[in-house]
Amino acid sequence: MATGSTATPVRSRARPRLLSGGGTTRLSQAAAGLFALTTLIALLAPLIEPYDPLLPVGQPQLAPGEQGFLLGTDSIGRDILSRVLAGWQSSWWAAVIVIASGLLVGGLVGLVAGTFGGIVDNVLMRITDTFLALPAPVIAIAVAATLGPSFAHTLLAVGIVWWPFYARIIRGEIRTLAARPHVEAARLAGAGRIRLGLRHLLPGAVPTAVVTASLDVGSLLLTLAGLSFLGLGQSAPAAELGADTAKNLSFLLQDWWIPVVPGVAVMVMALFGNIAGDGVRNLLGDR
Amino acid sequence: MIQLVSKRLGAMAVIILVLTAVVFALQKASPFDPVHSMLGPSASREAVAQQRHALGLDQPLPSQYWHYLTALLHADLGMSYRTRHPITADLATFLPATAELALFALVLALVLGTALAVATTLRWRGAGVLRFVLVAGASTPAFLLAIGGILIFYQLLGWLPATGRTSFTDAPTGPTGLLTLDGLLAGRPEVTLDAMGHLVLPGLALAIGPAVSIGRVLRSSLVGNRRTDYVRTAMAKGLSEGSVLRKHVVRNSLGPALSMTGLQIGLMFAGVLVIENVFSWPGIGQYTSLSIPVGDFPAIAGVTLLLGAGFVAINTIVDILQAVADPRIDV
Repeated sequence: MATGSTATPVRSRARPRLLSGGGTTRLSQAAAGLFALTTLIALLAPLIEPYDPLLPVGQPQLAPGEQGFLLGTDSIGRDILSRVLAGWQSSWWAAVIVIASGLLVGGLVGLVAGTFGGIVDNVLMRITDTFLALPAPVIAIAVAATLGPSFAHTLLAVGIVWWPFYARIIRGEIRTLAARPHVEAARLAGAGRIRLGLRHLLPGAVPTAVVTASLDVGSLLLTLAGLSFLGLGQSAPAAELGADTAKNLSFLLQDWWIPVVPGVAVMVMALFGNIAGDGVRNLLGDR
Repeated sequence: MIQLVSKRLGAMAVIILVLTAVVFALQKASPFDPVHSMLGPSASREAVAQQRHALGLDQPLPSQYWHYLTALLHADLGMSYRTRHPITADLATFLPATAELALFALVLALVLGTALAVATTLRWRGAGVLRFVLVAGASTPAFLLAIGGILIFYQLLGWLPATGRTSFTDAPTGPTGLLTLDGLLAGRPEVTLDAMGHLVLPGLALAIGPAVSIGRVLRSSLVGNRRTDYVRTAMAKGLSEGSVLRKHVVRNSLGPALSMTGLQIGLMFAGVLVIENVFSWPGIGQYTSLSIPVGDFPAIAGVTLLLGAGFVAINTIVDILQAVADPRIDV
């Protein structure tokens, strides 16, 4: 392999458990449940937002708790809690779309490479390795900045750099599975390559794909927030956690909560993602 | 050895070539028309056609790409629409500030990562707190660390400065461009000390994420290596735990941590773009964020090429170093 096995990224695979000592099943289930909680908050956001996140509803720069605004108001009097909930929702959608597209494209490339082997495998994996050797966040910023800031462009930019990682891992899993007796039996029974791939190899790779994706949620959310911070997300006045911090930096020293609260929301979301990802890994076995 | 190095360098050349192709393709896919950006919206049709011809934009794509590559080899990255300077000159102006910050952050990340790994492996007192730091650190966006640092160490305690690289208006500008070095070279240690103070907050904000990743990888290989037979043998010979750790365990655990460090540099480059904004750090990051809103594509492309090629080069060096350190690695 020309691009070198040592260059294979260890983005989150190589990390040890966060939860102490592996944890019990119940603890892992509770941790994995944080994914459900995050989703619930994202989907119910429009219902639980106390005010319209885009319109001024009170006096500007109110501190948290003042006049009934739990997290205060921003520089033009919009409710920060409502904006954080709306931002949570859009971050959730962005993460879901990027992971789904990464799994789809990476899974397809990995499945084809792993099932066919030989020259197909070689060509596909060389392409994958080349993409993996480039700094993903920098390329994502370049793509989003070139296409012009918009939500779709950001998702496209991150999606472009996110699939090779999945392709590598799924291909590895498929190659391992291909050596198993049940696959050989199917081959002897006359199963074609496509049937072999879809029916006998793909299902076995699903748990690995799920674990990889779950462990990835935290770092994906941070990458997306970074792009949003640089102004490469939805345009104003849309509520976005990264952008809400960046645009309000000038208030940091007088009204710290205006830039800090959206940043803390990113942290809570990524923390939920990381803990839940570890829970999923513990439940599905260490892969 | 020569074969290994040439193989790695060959791979590096291919990857950088792909990088230029990606950047070139982006330029073509961009909705911003370089001719209109240069001449303004009111340019006549003839002027536009003339400029298009002068830039070679009326030629077929492969030949445009060829011209792009030959220009790159002559360090010609085009002109910035915003500053109206050659991109190469702009990058040379802003690179030292970024390089100083990134180097400082890298050293911090290595020190913190190692401390984190060793402390949790040996279960020092307070290692439980460090475990929490690991989880939280992996989940905190760098910009939040940055503004938190400003609130605590600048506003509340008044210990550290929060903006820029220096408090001196007459700080030396050469010869290296790294203020900490230039201060010493100019015989002005107060400039160096002040520059160090300015580096602490942005450096920490950049370093904590990578430190956590490096620390985790190092920790897992430390724990793994401590269970090996050769460590048991060394302990059985009566060597002290510290000596076994230093001479046997750490040495064999460095490989994965080194790989992780190489990869984290990519994240750090992206982090620099964000962090420089928060601290008004006059480097590549600020240059980029001023270029993004005005669609200054040549500038963005130049930064991407610089950071991308730097990342690929660093990881190639890491790979070669690893093969040198551990002959079992087959490249």
